[in-house]
Amino acid sequence: MTDIIYSEAEKTYILHGIQENYREDGRGCEDYRHMEIETGVVSNTTGSARVRLANTDLLVGIKAELGSPSPDNPNCGCIEFFVDCSANATPQFEGRGGEELATEISNVLTRAYSNSTSLDLKSLCIIPKQQCWILYIDVLFLECGGNLFDAASVGVKAALFNTKIPNVTVNQDEDDMEIELSDDPFDVQRIDIKSAPCIVTLSKIGHHHVVDASQKEEACCLARLMMGVTADSTITALKKEGWGSLNPESIFEMMESGKNVGKVLNASLLSLLEDEEKGSKRKTVGFLK
Amino acid sequence: MPVDSKRICGPEITKNPYNFLINGNEKGELIINGKRRDGRKPDQARPLFLRPGLISQAKGSAYIEQNHTKVICAVYGPREVIRKEDFSMKGQITCEFKFATFSCKKKRGHQQDSEEKDYSVQLLEALEPAVQLDKFPKSQVNLYLTVLQNDGSALAASITCASLALAHAGIEMFDLVVGSSVRIHGNEILVDPCEEEEFHSNTNIGVDEGGVVLGLMPSINQISALTSKGELNFDTTSQAVKTCIQNCQKVYPVLQNCLVNSLKEKD
Repeated sequence: MTDIIYSEAEKTYILHGIQENYREDGRGCEDYRHMEIETGVVSNTTGSARVRLANTDLLVGIKAELGSPSPDNPNCGCIEFFVDCSANATPQFEGRGGEELATEISNVLTRAYSNSTSLDLKSLCIIPKQQCWILYIDVLFLECGGNLFDAASVGVKAALFNTKIPNVTVNQDEDDMEIELSDDPFDVQRIDIKSAPCIVTLSKIGHHHVVDASQKEEACCLARLMMGVTADSTITALKKEGWGSLNPESIFEMMESGKNVGKVLNASLLSLLEDEEKGSKRKTVGFLK
Repeated sequence: MPVDSKRICGPEITKNPYNFLINGNEKGELIINGKRRDGRKPDQARPLFLRPGLISQAKGSAYIEQNHTKVICAVYGPREVIRKEDFSMKGQITCEFKFATFSCKKKRGHQQDSEEKDYSVQLLEALEPAVQLDKFPKSQVNLYLTVLQNDGSALAASITCASLALAHAGIEMFDLVVGSSVRIHGNEILVDPCEEEEFHSNTNIGVDEGGVVLGLMPSINQISALTSKGELNFDTTSQAVKTCIQNCQKVYPVLQNCLVNSLKEKD
């Protein structure tokens, strides 16, 4: 994460607060900060979303392109994650500075989605062994305010919900296959995100753990556990991160709260996205915030 | 990814012949009559062979063998940090994990691919909590791991191997880190999976199919690494973590013994 140096006194203040289930911004230990989600913000993409979680700001754009499926998996399309930590977010990301963090985020996302149930990759196949849709999911960080992993996963899920892949028809004449793309903007294929996971990061601070750590809290945290959690509260990925270690009991406690928090997060995200789809009265914000 | 044309003289893209196997993706049951395909019981790990100190010019080194999984690790340092901007009052560890190009069923590249980079980070995070970094300020320790032959559980074997090499190099640590991996297959938990038992996202379909890798520091009872793949229920995951912990504790005396013996041989 982006490093900020805090004094010992400040760290102790945060730590003592968490012991009392009261964090520096008034939240409890299992509360998320205010989150804003808007989908369909970039017109040239197949699907896009913008997420603002307190000061963390990111944009997810999905591009669907035609390609040939991997030989290991000839009947499925594929998804590719790419994370860009732009230097807009913090000067530390300049040049190759953000690369390490970016690979880490994209690896966790890849792992969380690398199981057969999260996304129906078979529906992305056009002609087995020959043509399939490849979804390039790109996450661009505009501002860093802590908890980048969770925000990125929420953004990815929202953007996948927003994705509209044009329908294709395959005409077969003799040996030649021809692909025709529909130009009707409503003749599209949607992606089912009911069982797509969200990442919940649990940061261990002192003897307690918190979800959605702010940048300050991340500076106090030695070890965190990241979990990919689906709406059915199954776990699709686990990863311990940071240079501290955890004892087994606290890992089980963290998994338990991660499961509960993840379930609520998934449910509220889905209801919000469905509301937006129906055409809510909320006015669009775009990037003006 | 640009291809290194100076080193690779062959065509840029080649295909793995195993993709053309008839019924290649249809694999049989993992467990038949309570036994795994190689005759092991579900909770039985493979025999373990460890030897520290086989790379004579490195500060420390170790070799691990679990049947056909063979990993070698070398430790260099502590030495000066080359780049000035990396200055830190704490010691630093770097870790480079590489599958030898011929080690797996599919051919590996000469350069680290994303999986290998991911493993490097996981190894680093598994080992950092164990090393007393404040004992060598302003300097770094370099770890290099090469998988010579991969028959599953390569990451777990690498964690064990790397901590043994660190101890052999005389780097001060809080404890050894023991790696362990399991494969979850429905209700069954298979300890120390081999290659054909490992979880692959494209062929193993459904809930409760996956794998867990864990690194434990047994004498201080701390988990330094934990990763999972595949979609798992909460209870199965905790059961798998417990199985891994038990398994690490079983292996721990073997590591200690091996280090003591290597010191005795020196005298």
